[in-house]
Amino acid sequence: MSKEVKDVQKLENQQQLKWVGKSVKRIDGPAKVTGEQKYKTDFNYPNMVWGKVLRARYPFAKIKGIDTSKAEAHPDAVCVLTHKDIPGFNGFGIVTPDQPVLCEDVVRCTGDAVALVAAESLEAAEEAINLIEVDYEPLEPVTDAEAAMIQGAPQLHPDGNIHSHVTIVNGDIDKGFEEADFIFENTFYSPRQMHAFIETEGGWGKLEEDGSLTIQCPAQYGHRDKLQIARALALNPERIHVYSSPNGGGFGGKDEITVQIYLALLAQNTDGRPVKIHLSREESVIAGIKRHPFKVTVKTGAKKDGTLIANKVRAVADTGAYASLGGAVTALAIEHASGPYKIPNVDMEGFCVYTNNGIAGAFRGFGVNQVCVGIETHIDMLAEKTGLDPIEIRKKNAYLQGDRSSLGHVVSSSVGTIETLMEAEECDLWVNRELYKSQVSEPWKKRGVAAATSFHGVGMGIGTPDYGAATIELLKDGRFKVGVAIEEIGTGNGTVYAQVAAECLRCEVDNIAVIQGDTKETLDSGTISASRSTYTGGRAIATAAPNMITLLTEAAAEILNVSKSEIELADNKLIVAGDESQSVNYKQIYEKLYEQHRSMRVEGHFYLPREKKELKNSGGAPHHLYGYMTHVVMVEVDTLTGETDVLHVVAIPDVGKVLNPQGLEGQSEGGAVMGIGYTLYEDILIEEGYHKTKNFTDYIIPTIRETPIIETIPVESNEKSGPFGAKGIAEVVMIPIIPAIMAAIHDATGARINHLPATPERIYKAIQETKKQTLVSR
Amino acid sequence: MRVSEIDLVSPSSVDKCLYMLRDHDKTFRLLAGGTDAIVQMKDGKRIPDIWINIKNLTELRYIREEKEGIHIGPLTTHTDIVKSELLQKKADVLVGASMEVGAIQLQNMGTVGGNIGTASPAGDTIPALFVLDAQIELSSFNEKRTIPINEFFTGPGKTVQKQNEMITNIIIQPQSENEIGIFEKLGPRKAQSISIVNVAITLRMGSNPRECLEGKIAFGSVGPTIIRSKKCEKMLALGPLDDTAIQDIAGAAWKEVMPISDVRASAKYRRSMASALLERGLYRLMNRWDAR
Ligand SMILES: Cc1cc2nc3c(=O)[nH]c(=O)nc-3n(C[C@H](O)[C@H](O)[C@H](O)COP(=O)(O)OP(=O)(O)OC[C@H]3O[C@@H](n4cnc5c(N)ncnc54)[C@H](O)[C@@H]3O)c2cc1C
Repeated sequence: MSKEVKDVQKLENQQQLKWVGKSVKRIDGPAKVTGEQKYKTDFNYPNMVWGKVLRARYPFAKIKGIDTSKAEAHPDAVCVLTHKDIPGFNGFGIVTPDQPVLCEDVVRCTGDAVALVAAESLEAAEEAINLIEVDYEPLEPVTDAEAAMIQGAPQLHPDGNIHSHVTIVNGDIDKGFEEADFIFENTFYSPRQMHAFIETEGGWGKLEEDGSLTIQCPAQYGHRDKLQIARALALNPERIHVYSSPNGGGFGGKDEITVQIYLALLAQNTDGRPVKIHLSREESVIAGIKRHPFKVTVKTGAKKDGTLIANKVRAVADTGAYASLGGAVTALAIEHASGPYKIPNVDMEGFCVYTNNGIAGAFRGFGVNQVCVGIETHIDMLAEKTGLDPIEIRKKNAYLQGDRSSLGHVVSSSVGTIETLMEAEECDLWVNRELYKSQVSEPWKKRGVAAATSFHGVGMGIGTPDYGAATIELLKDGRFKVGVAIEEIGTGNGTVYAQVAAECLRCEVDNIAVIQGDTKETLDSGTISASRSTYTGGRAIATAAPNMITLLTEAAAEILNVSKSEIELADNKLIVAGDESQSVNYKQIYEKLYEQHRSMRVEGHFYLPREKKELKNSGGAPHHLYGYMTHVVMVEVDTLTGETDVLHVVAIPDVGKVLNPQGLEGQSEGGAVMGIGYTLYEDILIEEGYHKTKNFTDYIIPTIRETPIIETIPVESNEKSGPFGAKGIAEVVMIPIIPAIMAAIHDATGARINHLPATPERIYKAIQETKKQTLVSR
Repeated sequence: MRVSEIDLVSPSSVDKCLYMLRDHDKTFRLLAGGTDAIVQMKDGKRIPDIWINIKNLTELRYIREEKEGIHIGPLTTHTDIVKSELLQKKADVLVGASMEVGAIQLQNMGTVGGNIGTASPAGDTIPALFVLDAQIELSSFNEKRTIPINEFFTGPGKTVQKQNEMITNIIIQPQSENEIGIFEKLGPRKAQSISIVNVAITLRMGSNPRECLEGKIAFGSVGPTIIRSKKCEKMLALGPLDDTAIQDIAGAAWKEVMPISDVRASAKYRRSMASALLERGLYRLMNRWDAR
């Protein structure tokens, strides 16, 4: 065990945590609730110009020529750029850079960028964009992922339409099904969910006088954006500075490059004038990344006593025109497709497929949302068939810490599944469910209560570098500046960073200044994604803190003229052990170090623990660490119309350790509402490659009236590797609620909806069909 | 023309506004709450040479009872309607409709005149105005004419209003003591949603249990304009409105509507929902009537 871990554990054992575990108010709260907080896209500068992107007219077409002369002649145009103006590599993409910055010979979706304009005003930029003449030869678009896989389908990319294929096999699937008493097989379709952040993609680019480039842009990994920009511009990355925090919402939708490279290209052509791009909602719908729609076929075998014995999964993900993180999403989906259970025989495979349907990529849940519905629905059906309690079935099959999971690996990190299920069993909603179900508000309404469980990996998995780094600097006034590159995207991670730092340094939270999303001032610390930022950033700070304490101790010893071993850390000061009267505060230490021209900055680095062996062909499984979660929900269905209300949610996450109860509730409630949106309302409809859903008129997200009572009951499984025992929960909080709502609709009406979102029309139709089958009238 | 170059004028009286509208060389568009007009402008639709901002014409914002009916000024907001005691008592169906428009913010900004002016088949106050036999007063600089609401709309987004006219008054027939009404809406969610189907119902009740003397039923969003359901209306008076009668009447509704399929719903579902909303509305009305 490393020294830092021991130090941290010592603190924990002392059980006198002052900041950790407390509902410390959001450090960015006042500015945000008063509206004073300025986001990158809120800024305007004198002397600015507006940038605009020309998107493709067709979902799939050859470009035969681009004529920009008329646009260039526009009196207010500053510059017009095409692929010819890209100094470096014309492509981007986190894993596979298959997306052109500006298309040259072919467009593959209507979100594709063909040209850029900068002009004196936004209207002028729009006019100039419309003057660009592109000569297209339209091709027949590929609009269905399964069809795209068939031989003879038009090929979108040189290597074919299958971007990736992953498999996980364990045990003997055929034997498993032979031994099964019951077999369930169903196919599930999931929606193309949109992140729907308040702040659409946008930002600023500026060429500085010294020739360096500044990009200000809401984003989820400034250090990586820097590299992607550098590759396209053939620039030294050290000449690029990205300021990427705070974000007006991210959820994965700003993990990939959004407009950064366009900003950089334009900035190099505007004579040092700052250039702004800010996508309209309509453009964001078309060009922004979405959640992968999946088609998932799941076959589950079980024994009479409720033991799950076999699970076969085939998932096809529509990644749209480009890969972005589609391969990783599909891999994570397959890793999680058998749930947090120990099913001895599994055979799972996933395909990530190119089509001309927009672009899909990272989104909170990262593939697990789409697959969890299969195993959870089948457990529910098994309970119905056998009369066993659905929670008992889950408890029976859940793996414990030290058990072998369905993937066949031994899970050595903390596992709280059973505890979450026990809380579910004991919660009022579950215990009194029959009573609540009988309290329908009108006779034609029906209520249902159901529970579901799932899990979600924390961090990147095998094969992708995964590390955190933090800096702590002593400031002149005796406060500390804590730098973690990981951006604030709305989650409140900065507050947790301040809590961890204040706890370790025994100072006040107010005396911590947190810097995030600044590639100049902070070390690369990875993405804000994969439920990793509290865990990784917190651990990096807890690793840097002892270095700061060492520095402080050395200086204190010199000032007080005692040996280092006699110095002890106290609240807001250092003292000579046993003698409080002999002390120095942090301001005095600053002055001492300043006199001696010594550095006042320390670093902490943390590599996420990982499994030794990757499962063959799995694309990165297994993860070392997972967050676990159970949801219990109650719905009310209007059987006349199919309208469905989620009335009550009990959210039970295994968080390792709660660092900030209020922050946890914020995540849990936001996740529940996003899960409700996914299950009941949200979908971007694309037909023949064109978007039918254009903006928030028809993209239906829950409002406060669709927001139920949400209770959060955390379970603490104490994860040894995490800061104070914590692990990530930001994604899992939106996952089990999806199958739980589906099961509750079934509990209420007898109808199963396997095609999400479960809109009133789909629910109504399914209810009509169950009536036909059972010949029971209303 | 660039949006930023469009003029906006704010006349200080209705007369001045009508005077401006005389000018045939320019296109004008009235701006009340702007909650439809601005959205359409953003979509590049119906962009005028000049905006006429009428939001400040308080003389067009009133609700008062007169001999020939209740007068409602076109600049009356949905919130005004929801809060009006007079309308709560004598036009509950309109109050119900205004309560379903968007959400609070929309109800504070949006006006009944604007809802009529947009002439959307999904406009929520319009079916309610149908069952209240509304008359729309159109004024031009030289003339005034009054059009019964069932003759006002000629298609989606189209009305008989001329370029030099504006709506200056809406007259509805108050409900009597024994009249009750309800507005039912089905949207993709509870707030801020465009109706997939809506229906306004008023019933005049007799002295026997659940005896209905006559009633009016108007569906929205199931045809190019509002559809009065004459067949179902006739069935209302055939006998007491018990659960079986309600189901029979509702069951007839789907034949009277002619919806289309779009991103929001299929025609088939809309047809079924016309029946479902009528059924739900009549159930709720009868419960209210029984409990009064
Ligand atoms: C988010 C959102 C949600 C919405 N939800 C609903 C809903 O649930 N139900 C619903 O029915 N509508 C809804 N709407 C549409 C709109 O809010 C309503 O139709 C509202 O009543 C329009 O009123 P306004 O005063 O804002 O109209 P404006 O936008 O000012 O005007 C609309 C049209 O009417 C014309 N007009 C205005 N006043 C007059 C007048 N006195 N004489 C002649 N023409 C006039 C204007 O020139 C314009 O063509 C919604 C809109 C938004 C943006």
